[in-house]
Amino acid sequence: MNITKSEHLENVLQTHRMTHIEDLLKKYREKRQDIKEAIEAEYSSDIYNPLNSGSYAKHTAINSKFDLDVMIPFKRDAFMTLEEMFNDIFDFLQEKYGSVAEVIKQKVSIGIEFYADDNGDIISIDIVPGRELNTGQYEDDHKLNLYVNSNYGELEAQSYIQTNIHAQIDHIKSKDNERKIIRLFKVWKTTNNENYKSFLLELITIKAFDKENIKGNLWEKLKAVMEYIRDHITKDNFTLKDPGNGGNDIADTLEDYEKRNLSNKMKNMLERIEDNEDNLKHYFPTNPDFEDEDKNGNGYGKKSGAASLFSRPPKNERFG
Amino acid sequence: MRVSRKNIITKCIEGLSFVNLVSSFEQVDIFLKGKIEIAFDGLDTPLLFTVEILPQYPFKSYNEETIKFINQDLLAYKHVMGNGTICIHTSHSIHLKEKLNIDFNSLKNWIVKYYINKEEDNHYEHLIVPQHCFKNNKYTFTFTNVDYEFKKHDYGFVNLKFLNNGVLGDMSVTNFLTDSFVNSSGKELASCKWSLFYKSNPQKYHGIYIFVESPPAFHDRFVLLNWENFVDVFKLDFLKFLHHCEKDYINKKLKGQVIPLYIGYNIPNSEIHWQVALLEVGKFPIEGVKEHKKWITELTHGQITWAISHNVSYSYFFGRGAFSENITKKKILIIGIGAIGSIVARTLVKSGSLKIDLCDYDIKEPENVCRAEFQFANGLTDKVDELKSLLSLTSPFVEVRSVNQIYFESISKALFNDPNARKELEEFINSYDTIFDCTTDNDLMHVINQLKLSCDVINLSITNKAQELVCAFYPNIYGFVTHQFEKVLKQDTEDMYNPTGCWSPTFKASYNDINLLVQYALKHINLLYQKDLPKNNFVIETGSEIAFKLKLKEF
Repeated sequence: MNITKSEHLENVLQTHRMTHIEDLLKKYREKRQDIKEAIEAEYSSDIYNPLNSGSYAKHTAINSKFDLDVMIPFKRDAFMTLEEMFNDIFDFLQEKYGSVAEVIKQKVSIGIEFYADDNGDIISIDIVPGRELNTGQYEDDHKLNLYVNSNYGELEAQSYIQTNIHAQIDHIKSKDNERKIIRLFKVWKTTNNENYKSFLLELITIKAFDKENIKGNLWEKLKAVMEYIRDHITKDNFTLKDPGNGGNDIADTLEDYEKRNLSNKMKNMLERIEDNEDNLKHYFPTNPDFEDEDKNGNGYGKKSGAASLFSRPPKNERFG
Repeated sequence: MRVSRKNIITKCIEGLSFVNLVSSFEQVDIFLKGKIEIAFDGLDTPLLFTVEILPQYPFKSYNEETIKFINQDLLAYKHVMGNGTICIHTSHSIHLKEKLNIDFNSLKNWIVKYYINKEEDNHYEHLIVPQHCFKNNKYTFTFTNVDYEFKKHDYGFVNLKFLNNGVLGDMSVTNFLTDSFVNSSGKELASCKWSLFYKSNPQKYHGIYIFVESPPAFHDRFVLLNWENFVDVFKLDFLKFLHHCEKDYINKKLKGQVIPLYIGYNIPNSEIHWQVALLEVGKFPIEGVKEHKKWITELTHGQITWAISHNVSYSYFFGRGAFSENITKKKILIIGIGAIGSIVARTLVKSGSLKIDLCDYDIKEPENVCRAEFQFANGLTDKVDELKSLLSLTSPFVEVRSVNQIYFESISKALFNDPNARKELEEFINSYDTIFDCTTDNDLMHVINQLKLSCDVINLSITNKAQELVCAFYPNIYGFVTHQFEKVLKQDTEDMYNPTGCWSPTFKASYNDINLLVQYALKHINLLYQKDLPKNNFVIETGSEIAFKLKLKEF
């Protein structure tokens, strides 16, 4: 690798910045605003102010795959049950946007994926309805109960889950180092089709920084977090408390074999990068759409086989 | 003076506390023969054995002991051969005295276990059947378990397929497959589970069957040897049926020809086994006897001519070793059957796979034979056509079909940006459980990786000189593989094989080089499927040419 590992990772973060997609983001914001206003008009006194949540609100989003999330805090007496709340807002969104978007029930949210516009852009917004625990209590502590759509996943899943988006956002506030690593993990997760939940990777990264003395350049920090995951995720007493709900251990969302697989994955990645630095680019690639051509004059990104001689196979030829 | 072998043996046997020498050892032909008596506490009456020692002793010969303990009166006991030899398998020793000690103690152990305690073995052993020949030719009949419950005294016809003629020992042999069982009216009752390749063989023959329920044996172990032993087993209507059949065969001018008679019976685990007797048309073991002024058919006396029969059901055929059912029971497509693809195909079939489709546009040329699973003898042929045949010849259970190669080579790429064509391609690929892409076609790799697939896709390729093998699993194929070949693996593509008259150089690697990597990869893939482990991409490295070692690196 002609550039250092840290330089490459900085480049990865740079090319995955949301600012590269300002125009697209503008469309997202407009759609989000439109939906927010529609919901406010529909439910007016039944809700508190809708709240931006998710990775964009936490500044951990990457431009290659993202959506915008909006939390809708319902008042306690707006609905008798959480299920009614979930179904009611789904029906409303389906009615309102069904002709221009796919509206689908997800695990705790309702996804609205607008059909591609003239530029081929697909805007996707997640609406997360929640209800305060007791009348008026939301204004004091921001705790909400979310309905868990059991048809979506496991058969015996619990029917609701408590959360606190404000606490989750506060948990990551001013943690620039952690955010960089979280964004790198998102790049890894997206490009390598890994199914690990972003929230889990977020919490484990923050915990690694909290428990270990992580310092050095970007690669050294990423490496330290990967080593922390490799060494700790499978331990019996390892927990990842949801800052929005102390009773919710996010580590429990992984089965034992999934924890072993994640630990093993980190081990493999560390070993492969140790074997050959170029493997880092496989796990953490730059976003080619936003690469600075000048920066890549050193050969990075160039196909080594492109200029091979006539009738001689290129260097990158595969055989079998 | 050198002590004779006979004296050493005699002295050694005399030294064993539970053995009495009854008559001294003498050289008879190649054997050293003597008689001994075994007596020890717990054995009421001493047992007498003739002992025959071959010149090879203490070495084994033809995987058998070269010392025989024989007593014809013990035929009723377990592990005694038809000539009264006690069947013992003992420890290896090259020292005569030590081996004698081991073998006589084994005989004593047999007496305790099977003669005194009359222990039963859990493991079922087939009847001991002599291998006879019919007019200087041996016959074999293979069958599988079938989905049909035969009842006692059921009889009818057996449809057979000719397999081949060959040599067995010092005699010619004709091999048949059992195709199906039909009742006496011609209605098919049960079909053996061979692949279509065998089922559609046009060379048809037939035989007769009867299901007798209990093993046709004496001492539960030796097949009956004379037709008179079946007098109480075969009922009158079956004998009448035999008579009609023989009359029919004679009318069809088949006199002197062989007709197999399948005799079926229950064995453990709800299975049935068939022993096959060979009948000669015109000499069926039946005769007409007048009783109360009516002719009836009766069995005659006479030696039975037994053929060789084999249950070759899938579970026995692959009983010694197979891949996980998570692979073998899946519908598999192999795209690209060059060196890697053909080795993958052959290994999957040898490991029990049942459904494999093949796709390749290429023809097999003589130069392909040295490192792929093709044969010179077949000349220039389509690779798919030849491999299809080879795979079917290997396993009687695999269904091998060819897939329209134009679809992958041309249509899938030409219409890649058409949503309907792409959907159709997705549906086609998703009709398989597992795809092995061994094409080394980067464009096809890209096309496949872009599809929304519910099946598994495994991509395999190697570097020049088989230095590395790269294996990637959907959906992480294209990016990973191209990155490995472009950025990580340092292969030498200048030292290629470039034969005279050829514009297209090919990679250097022998069958051994490629097969080693492919087998290692397949072993790892089998493990992933067997244990349901995550399908992480991997690279197998061989190290340098002077320090060869295989290393599998998971990503």
